[in-house]
Order: sequence, then C-alpha cells, then structure tokens
Amino acid sequence: MTQAPVVFVVDDDPSVRSSLKFLMSSVGLQVESFDSADALLERKLPDAPSCLVLDVRLRGLSGLDFQRELAARNCHMPIIFITGHGDIPMSVRAMKAGAVEFLTKPFRDQDLLDAVRIALEKDRGRRERKKEVSDLKERFNSLTPREQKVISMVVSGMLNKQIADQLGTAENTVKVHRSRAMEKMHAQSVAELVKMIDKLESSVEP
Amino acid sequence: MSHAESAAAYAEARQQVEQRWRTAFENSANGIAMADFAGRFFAANSVFRNMLGYTESELYQLTFLDVTYEEDRKANKELVRELVEGKRQHFQIEKRYCRKDGTLVWVRNNVALVPGLGGAAPFWFAVVEDITQRKEEESARRYTEENYRLVVETASDAVISLDETSAILLANPATTRIFGYDPAELIGKPLTLLMPEFLRKLHDVGFKRYLATGQRHINWQGTELVGLRKNGQEFPVEVSFGELTKDGHRVFTGFIRDISERKQAQRAIQNAQAELARVSRLTTMGELAASIAHEVNQPLTAVNNNSSACLRLLANQNLQPDVLRRALEEIVADGTRASAIITRIRAFIKKAPAEKNRLDVNEVIGEVLVMMGHGFEENRILLQSELAQALPPVLGDRVQLQQVLLNLIMNGLEAMTAVTNRPRTLWVHSRIDESGDILVAVRDSGTGLGSESDRVFTPFFTTKANGMGMGLSISRSLIESHGGRLWSSPNSPHGAIFSFTLPAAAGSPP
Repeated sequence: MTQAPVVFVVDDDPSVRSSLKFLMSSVGLQVESFDSADALLERKLPDAPSCLVLDVRLRGLSGLDFQRELAARNCHMPIIFITGHGDIPMSVRAMKAGAVEFLTKPFRDQDLLDAVRIALEKDRGRRERKKEVSDLKERFNSLTPREQKVISMVVSGMLNKQIADQLGTAENTVKVHRSRAMEKMHAQSVAELVKMIDKLESSVEP
Repeated sequence: MSHAESAAAYAEARQQVEQRWRTAFENSANGIAMADFAGRFFAANSVFRNMLGYTESELYQLTFLDVTYEEDRKANKELVRELVEGKRQHFQIEKRYCRKDGTLVWVRNNVALVPGLGGAAPFWFAVVEDITQRKEEESARRYTEENYRLVVETASDAVISLDETSAILLANPATTRIFGYDPAELIGKPLTLLMPEFLRKLHDVGFKRYLATGQRHINWQGTELVGLRKNGQEFPVEVSFGELTKDGHRVFTGFIRDISERKQAQRAIQNAQAELARVSRLTTMGELAASIAHEVNQPLTAVNNNSSACLRLLANQNLQPDVLRRALEEIVADGTRASAIITRIRAFIKKAPAEKNRLDVNEVIGEVLVMMGHGFEENRILLQSELAQALPPVLGDRVQLQQVLLNLIMNGLEAMTAVTNRPRTLWVHSRIDESGDILVAVRDSGTGLGSESDRVFTPFFTTKANGMGMGLSISRSLIESHGGRLWSSPNSPHGAIFSFTLPAAAGSPP
C-alpha cells in the first residue's frame, strides 16, 4: 500500500525552511526539509507521491542545476521553485524544464499550498500510470511466446482464421491461446486488450 | 756691343724669362696642363699630375678626353669644337676627371686654344681648379633643400610662409586639401583669410605687437585655434610657427593641422566615459536593489509563512500554546533580522564619511563651472553668475557640495535642451539671506517643473527619459546633512529655480 504524500523542502535559509515546514504541517502535509540539494540526494526517496519546494539560489548546486540533475537521475518529482529575486528568463527556464510553479518570495501562503496540491496530484497520477504499466508488463511477461504472438495479431485486427492460417495451425488452437491470454491479462474484451497493449507500447522509454 | 755679345745677352734674357715662367708654372695653386692640337698632353704641372695621380711620362701618353669622365666628354667635345671653329676665344667647363685609381675628381677648367706662331703648332692651355669639395657641399645642400621641399610638399599639415605684413608667400598642397583654396589663390593674401572673423583682429594686433616688441600673443608651439575653410566652414586647428630672417626680412613659417577628427574622437571618448559612469551607477544601484530585495525577502517570507500557519491552525482551533509561542518567537526573530539588514544597508550607503572644512561657496561654484567646461557652449547656453563678494565661509564637504551644484546645473542644462524659441540662460547666484545663511540659487529658462514640483525630491521620481530619479533626492539629503535646506520654485516667466542654504561657519563675522 502506498504511503502518505511527502513534501520536500530545499532552502539554505533556516528560518524560511522552518517556516515552510510549519506552514505546510498546519494543513496536515508531511514535510521534510534540507539545507542543500546534496542533502536531499543522500536520502532514499519514499515510495509515495511527493513534490519538491526548491529555492533557486542555493549554495553549491543552484536550484536550476538541481532540477536538471534530478531529471538526469530519472527522478520526475514535480518541482515548485521559490526565489528571493526571480527574473523572467530564469522562471521561463525553470517552467520549460517542467516546474509546476515559480513563486517569488514573499508569496501568499495559499499560492504555495495550491501549487503543492497540484504538484502532489500530478505525482500521484504519474505514479498510478507507472504502477498500471508495470502491472501490465508483468502480466504480459507471464504469457507464453505463442500467446504473446497470438494476441499481438488479435490487436492488429486479424480474425482467428487468418491467425491460424498464418501460424499454420488450427483455428481452435488459436481460440485456446487467445482465451488463456485474455484471462492472464485480465482483459474483459478485445477493446480492453487493445487499450492495454497500447499503454504498454506507449510506455516504452524513448 | 758685338753681335756675339748681344746674342749672348739675348740668350741669357731669354733663359731668365723661360725660368720665370717655369717657376710660375710649377708653383701655381691651380693645375696647369697643355695638350697638342690633337689633345695629347705634353706639359702638366705637379698640381695637375697629383690631381690625376699620373706620372709625367704616363700622362703624356694620354689625351684630355682619355682622362675626362665618360658622361662629361660630350659637353667637353662640343666646347672644344666651338673653340676650334673660332666661335669663342676660350671656355670654362665644370667636369669630372677619372683618376688613375678610378676615383673621380670635380674640376673647373679654363681652356684656351693658343694659336700657332712662327711655325709653332697651336696647342691647348688649361688652368684646372679642383672643385670636388665645393661640389660635395653643393650636392649636400641640394639634398637638404630637396628633402625639405619633399617634406613640405607631402606634409599632411598645411605649411604656410608669411612675410612681415602677414601676407602669404608660400602654401603647400596640403593647404588646398585643408582649407579648400589652391596655393595660387593664397599667394599675397593675408593670413587672416584662413581665420574666422573673431580671430582676425586678434591676429593683426598680436602680430603687429610681436613685430614691434617680440612679445608673442599665442604660444607658437601647438596652439589650438579655429580655421575657416573656403566654403565658410569653421574647424579646429593646431598651429605652430617658426621664424627666420633672410636678407634682413623676417619670414614666418607655420604648420596648421586640421584636428577636427581628433576633437571628435576626444568628444566621443568623453561621451563614452560619461555613459559608462551612468551605466555603472545604474548597475550598482540595480545590484544593490536586487541584493536588498533578496536579503529582506527571506525574513519576510518566513514571517508570512509562520503567521499564515498560525491563522490556519487557529481557524481549526488546533493551535497549541507552545506551537504558537515558537511561531511568534520566530516571527519576532525574523522581524529583527529584516531591520538589521536595513540598518546594515544604511550604514553601507553612508559609508563615505563627510569631511567638513571651512569653504568659500563662491570658490566651490567656480570649480563646478570649470568642471562644466564646454557644457554651456556646446548646448548654446548663456551662463550668468552673480556671486556676492566676501561671503562668510561655510563648514562643508567640498566634494559633496560640488556634487549638489553639478547636479542642479546639469538639471538646468537638460531642462533647456528642448527650448528653441527663447534664449537659454542659466543664472547662478550666491548671497547672504535674511537669517544670515548663505543662499545659492540655480535658475534656468527651461521647461519648468509644472505640477511635478513637489515630487522632484522623491527618490526614483524622474522627468527625464534616462534619469535615475536619485539626483535631487540625494542632493537634498547632502544639503540637509550640512544643516541647510534645498527647495525648488518656479522661475518667471519660464523655467525653475533650485535654491539651497548653508549656515555660515561658527566664528565668522555676521
């Protein structure tokens, strides 16, 4: 079962850090704060929806560099940038790189909390899609090579007879492979199977 | 006297004459040579032989053409022919002999063809003067003259010679390029033709005085003046003059350089420097502002977050007293931190401590007007200063007061750049006011302040396209730190007046 969502805070200013933690705790969020990007990287990230509230201007690695670093590590946790003096090019760069929000200090508490809610929602969705795909992958891998072959021909729109002809086997044998595969994939209909295979194919990392 | 006796006497007399001639021949300072009609030498004195480096026997094998330098033979032969044809009695020639060792010697020969008498054959008689040294001097002089001529002809500066009436004797080709006149148009004309009206009288008077007293009215080495082209255009020139006396007449030669480009470059550099100073001031201010924003925003963010969290918990009736206390403590700490940052910045801005000395305000005004330099001229602004004499000194920082004055004057100038339909005048006054303070006013005939007159002292307020809006606000705080006041009022009928007061230094007579 997945754990409760976590908000990570990285800001080198201790009072900003502690006030952010207090603010987000006041609405029941679980918050973990760090004084540097490196400190966060050392922590094993939990298996829970999470997001990152990140100061642009940090000692050592800057917030924007850290954003790139996380992407390189295949960590897609949504990021909310906060900054003491943001300029437009900086915010454009951050947003292009996938930031959820770019807030200038001092910001309205509601703006931050809204951004955090959106970020967690986004991460939850991303995690669900990821889970679904990995389940599907697991089911697909449990099929025999012959079953995998048959259903890939089914989803491409071929009739049982055509499949049997092409594989040089009896139509009945095809029907047996097909129904076993549908069962293993937990697919109620051909339409559902098509969607499943589609998701599997589109999840292939580029 | 017997015939024999007379014959003997005659022979003796003849021998004496012969002896006299031989002595003269041998002791002559010049070379003397004789050649037969065909040109072969048959007699030559030692001076001549030494001149050519041949012995007597060697020489008598040669003709005069043999020892004449190849290039000079043709002219020599021509003269010989004229003599033979009876066109002349003798000739003079300057030519080169080729010495036995191959070197050349310049000579001037006086040559005569001695007619044959009493059965004797005619012969050539030449008196030869060694003129090598004179020739070398001549050639050196010609070289020098040629060199000077070349320098003058190819000089990029105008070179002009004048006589004692200041009339032009000579002008080089560069004069045409610089002034637009052909040298021929200038010869005999007065030098004042090349000057604008306002310099002509100055030149005439100064030149006359120099001739009379030797006292120069300008520095003769590189004085910057104004030239006038044929097309009426005035341009900056740098002039140097030299003088020499020839046959009792004084000749003046001047070098006139067109320095328009140099001036332009200087102006461009000045503009660039001013622009750089302005930009760096803006950048510094911008950086300072950004840094202030960042520094102050950190505690403000913390204050906002903490108070918002308290309000949320309070709304849910979920605020524990110890949580509230901790939050309030943090809020107080961050408030204190924000104000500490501001104190630090103010200390930074005030860093340069003012240096107070007893100053004469009029002197400071004078210095600033000098600093403004051509600022008035270039903007076609008439400056009128009216400074009260014997003002009591003030206690102040010279640089800060210069800064204030410079700022007020620059503002006045800039306010008048758009004015075209009336004179642009800037007045600077100083006097003692009713309360015994020193009052300085800068008055312009510019566009005036209109309804903005109250706001001009507000920081970052500006009416200028590229202004910072800091000048007057800084000026006011500088004057206030001197115990004075700075204010503005409208000028009548146009423009604005900026006035400030400074208290007279203690101990000065009222």
